Amino acid sequence: MVRPLEKGQKVVSAHLGGPLIGFAGTTIPIPFTTVHYAQGLSNKTSVFGSVHTTAMLFGVFQTDIGACQQVYYNDSLRLGFSVNPVLNLAFDKWEKKFKCWPQLDVNAYWEIKPKKSFVYIGVENWFELAGKKAHDVKQTNRWIVAPQLGYTYVRKKWNYGFETKFIAPNLKNLPNAVDYRGIGGKGALGVYLSFTRKF
Amino acid sequence: MKKFTHSIFIVIVIALSSCMRLDSNLYNNDNTITSYQLDNYTGEQDFILDATYKIPDSLIHHFTLNSLIPGESSAKKIHAIYLGSISKIATDTVIMYCHGNKWHMDFYWQRAKLMAHIAGKNHYGVMMIDYRGFGMSEGEPTEDGMYADVDAALQWLRLNGLSSQRLMIYGFSLGSAPACELTANPRSLTPSKIILEANFASAAVMVQDGSQISMPASYFTNLKIDNAEEIKKITQPLFWMHGKNDLFLNIETHGQVVYNNHGGTYKEAHEIEGADHGEVPEKYGFDNYLRDLEVFIKK
Repeated sequence: MVRPLEKGQKVVSAHLGGPLIGFAGTTIPIPFTTVHYAQGLSNKTSVFGSVHTTAMLFGVFQTDIGACQQVYYNDSLRLGFSVNPVLNLAFDKWEKKFKCWPQLDVNAYWEIKPKKSFVYIGVENWFELAGKKAHDVKQTNRWIVAPQLGYTYVRKKWNYGFETKFIAPNLKNLPNAVDYRGIGGKGALGVYLSFTRKF
Repeated sequence: MKKFTHSIFIVIVIALSSCMRLDSNLYNNDNTITSYQLDNYTGEQDFILDATYKIPDSLIHHFTLNSLIPGESSAKKIHAIYLGSISKIATDTVIMYCHGNKWHMDFYWQRAKLMAHIAGKNHYGVMMIDYRGFGMSEGEPTEDGMYADVDAALQWLRLNGLSSQRLMIYGFSLGSAPACELTANPRSLTPSKIILEANFASAAVMVQDGSQISMPASYFTNLKIDNAEEIKKITQPLFWMHGKNDLFLNIETHGQVVYNNHGGTYKEAHEIEGADHGEVPEKYGFDNYLRDLEVFIKK
């Protein structure tokens, strides 16, 4: 979430997309899907939560719960800045393993028409709390960065979003059993679509 | 509020009843073939040996074995190839070769032939099987099935006179799983030495390499393959080799973790410069590969 909702406004959205991978001789985004709910507490603060439906198909209950806080807005420029503190929580039915990854997103958005469509640029930050990986190997990736760029087309009842990310641009994507498509052998590009119904 | 409660209930029910898993993605098997071509196979292979490595037809034995997972109601018929003289199994050293996750034995035929040249042509016997679901072997690939299938081959070797002291087990890539499992937890025979090439560490490492974070393997797979832990129980000498340019199974996260965790007192590491996943024997140099394995086996 980039721009806070208006006070009292409620939205439900569906998100589709993920990092690009090589698969069966072509490049596809991993088909992650999410159903997301958000509500405006004030004109500057919204809260949200989502259910990761693809993860659910794998027997993993995953949710992210957070808030979108506008920290600055310039009326004449129609330029705003927001931060999203988020908690990503996951629990699987197979081995009952629970994980929590805090996340902090920082975004700048520019409204193309007042209160209408907007473009944004920002950075998503995931934090790994575990100091160890499997087999007691030190976890060196404690901070996963993903610069992002997106556009939200705003209509009366619906918003349509497109976003692209460069996930972990500082990390080499090889060797890896997953054939990520990044830039210069690093990270993975991601593409995401969203469809938002406003109430 | 009632609707919301219902929605939450539905979400939880879906989550608890879902069962998609990535387990089968581990097996890149091809079960469409109707015969094995061996030297006449023209499909993709990691390398092709020259004519000097040809094995006499009289020393190539293709047969089937019955493999039963403990608790399974009926056995699966799996295909096996033994290179060497069956009548000499009672006195020969034999290498049980556990192949990787790709296709079937035709793809690995050149590797089996190469191994049959350690210490000279057909000096040691070499046994190779197609796990269930691979090549002409019946059934679908599973982790327990793979262990049962290799053990079926060991049972056959034991019936033909092989003793544990003369059994070497060799695991390439996915084959490192049955090699480690059946050495750490022996069934029909106990391998006296273990050779690992471009090994897998565990499902957990596979998931964590893929996600870059400490994500539990159980979020994606029910596979229990854990060579990195099983190797701690293995005290038999270890010959470990891994390509430094392995783009599929990372030498650090997969290979070295298993090597470092070996529970025995003797182990040797061969990190092969420039070798990708399937290139270790070729980049090692066939002569060097054969010489070092001979020294290890005779040690």
